[in-house]
Amino acid sequence: MVQPVDLDGLKHSGALWQGRRNLLAADQVWASGWRVLDELLGGGWPRAALIELLGEAHQGLPLVLPLLAGLSRQARWLVWVAPPHVPYAPALQARDVCLEHVLLIRDLSAAQGLWAAEQTLKSAACSGVLLWPQQVRTAQLRRLQLAAEQGSCPAILFRPLRAADQGSPAALRLRVRPVPLGLEVALLKRRGAWGGVSCIVPLDRFGA
Amino acid sequence: MLWLALYLPQLPLEVFAPARRQAGPLAIVESSAGRERISRCNAAAQADGLRPGMLLPTALALCAGLAVRRRAPARERRALDDLAAWAYQFSSCIAFEPALLLLEIGASRRLFGDLTTLQERIRCGLEQLGYRVRDGMAPTALAAGLLARNRSGCRVLDRDEMRTAVSDLPLACLTRDAAARDLIRHIGLQTLGEVLALPRPELVRRVGPRLALLLDRLLGLAPDPRAQWQPPRHFEQTLELLGEIGQTSALVFPARRLLLALCGFLHGCGGGAQRLRWGLVHRDRPDTDFDQGLLDPSRDPERMLAVFRERIERLQLPAPVIGLGLRVDDWQILDGCNRELFAGSVADSPIDDRVADSADDRAVDQTVERIDKALLERLANRLGEQRVRGLRCRADHRPEYAWGLCAPGEAGVELAAVATAASRQGLSQPPWLLTQPLPLPAPRGVPHHGGALRLADRPERIETGWWDGRDIARDYFIAQGPAGECLWVFRDRRDGGWYLHGFFV
Repeated sequence: MVQPVDLDGLKHSGALWQGRRNLLAADQVWASGWRVLDELLGGGWPRAALIELLGEAHQGLPLVLPLLAGLSRQARWLVWVAPPHVPYAPALQARDVCLEHVLLIRDLSAAQGLWAAEQTLKSAACSGVLLWPQQVRTAQLRRLQLAAEQGSCPAILFRPLRAADQGSPAALRLRVRPVPLGLEVALLKRRGAWGGVSCIVPLDRFGA
Repeated sequence: MLWLALYLPQLPLEVFAPARRQAGPLAIVESSAGRERISRCNAAAQADGLRPGMLLPTALALCAGLAVRRRAPARERRALDDLAAWAYQFSSCIAFEPALLLLEIGASRRLFGDLTTLQERIRCGLEQLGYRVRDGMAPTALAAGLLARNRSGCRVLDRDEMRTAVSDLPLACLTRDAAARDLIRHIGLQTLGEVLALPRPELVRRVGPRLALLLDRLLGLAPDPRAQWQPPRHFEQTLELLGEIGQTSALVFPARRLLLALCGFLHGCGGGAQRLRWGLVHRDRPDTDFDQGLLDPSRDPERMLAVFRERIERLQLPAPVIGLGLRVDDWQILDGCNRELFAGSVADSPIDDRVADSADDRAVDQTVERIDKALLERLANRLGEQRVRGLRCRADHRPEYAWGLCAPGEAGVELAAVATAASRQGLSQPPWLLTQPLPLPAPRGVPHHGGALRLADRPERIETGWWDGRDIARDYFIAQGPAGECLWVFRDRRDGGWYLHGFFV
């Protein structure tokens, strides 16, 4: 006897790949703030997954600032683990990031940074975790991905460009490159879609 | 008045090896008439055939691996004192006899439901602390002590019963006064009941007023004033470990015992502790001290233990540890909400549904906050408090001073006016700031950073700070690099040099 399969359910959960640009259900993504980027991401940033942004350490941040502004309105921590420079408080506040929920974890060794990221992800007390890892192995990425799913919290990793060659269990990998009109975002990997497409996210000269 | 007496028959032994029944054979010796005799020995030693009263050489012959300690009365007194601190949560009126603790529980029996529950809680608590106890309950302190020592578990609630309860105990239990005992024995009497049956005036004439007063106190006919234990201002206890501990993870068990004692003390005082000071005692070196912080005052031993576990993870032991001390200098009164009363952990007292519902609601409300706190504590204790910080704006136009670190979650205390002023300015400023401005080469007056930079038209001039000597005079530009990146650069108006101070993209 043939088992009936709930096709709509599979489509809804993103488990079924349809071979064309499919969109994730609206309750599984956060809108990115740009229409072109939403289309590239299949609806927006995934809510409980590992996201990798490859580029210079500071370059990916403008892309997620609208996301951070939304996340920081939740009464949970928005955690920055080992940021490369000082996150400039007045500028963040001007871009609607609620500073009250920002948690900075700094001056760490590589192992401490990964530990802190995993703990915060798993705790379910955080709305999002940003991590600038020094060196990270595939097994450690896997742990972060699991922790992000467990705590249903997006983990955003900022990694150098050369990490593009390394395989990764991340749900989403983007390469970020500044261009005169904004940021060029190339999709390296996304669950349920082809990589290799790119778009240009327009930023004004203030990076907003 | 209703007294609960807690008699600790193995106290001399337990002060040396608390909560370590699985440890090897251990005996406590006392010298009497110039010879060393075993006074107490633990189960392992008894299994080897040792008995109290045995001579020490005999005992050593029977059991080669016997650990021997001389009885330490000072340490026993201190242990009783520590126990009193713990028991203060059950009674505000505590007195001592040798190896015996007396709690007045008549006043607190309603708080804890009924006497059986209370007795059970105390017994369990003492067991967790590593003490075996025999208890007795009676309306007078003297009778309660007598029952605990001789008829453990006996409970006498009113005075009429008391006469019968003590009547078959030998008089020797009551007094050590040899003359009185001899006299009574010569009359041919043995038990307390027989003595109490004698006509009183004759008895007083024969044995003197001292024994008569004791008998009166026993029956509650005469007042029995006792020195009451007073809670100290500080909590400080030290636990001597039986062996040397070289691994931090092995410290968790003794730490748990200290935390239980601390939380009992805090319960009694209605307080909570926020900063605990641990001391590790080494054999030949100064102690290692470290602090353990909690985000808010607490008296939950499990939570403190979880934080302790994280804290010792990053500890390097310089030498094996032979003792563990815990000290709390200042504790706060927990604001008057007796949450545990409603959560049912103090008493299983019947609570009507309405109250139970509201307690549930509150528990849900507190969950988010509690998770937050627990996470912060774990992070701060493992990584160090200075590494886990919040971020806030400050009312200053100089970029270096316009931001600051603060305790997590406290950024909101800034004035609203500051926030709006900052947000107007902040839009034209980058999300990343360099801690130190980076000097840029500027051949022919054009700043370079990986290539010549193109400057946006209008600079933002920041010239302020004359009042504290760190004044600046700068023109900030948004500059575009050759690869399209957006930088925040400034020209110092004093020396004309160019600097990179932040990144937009």
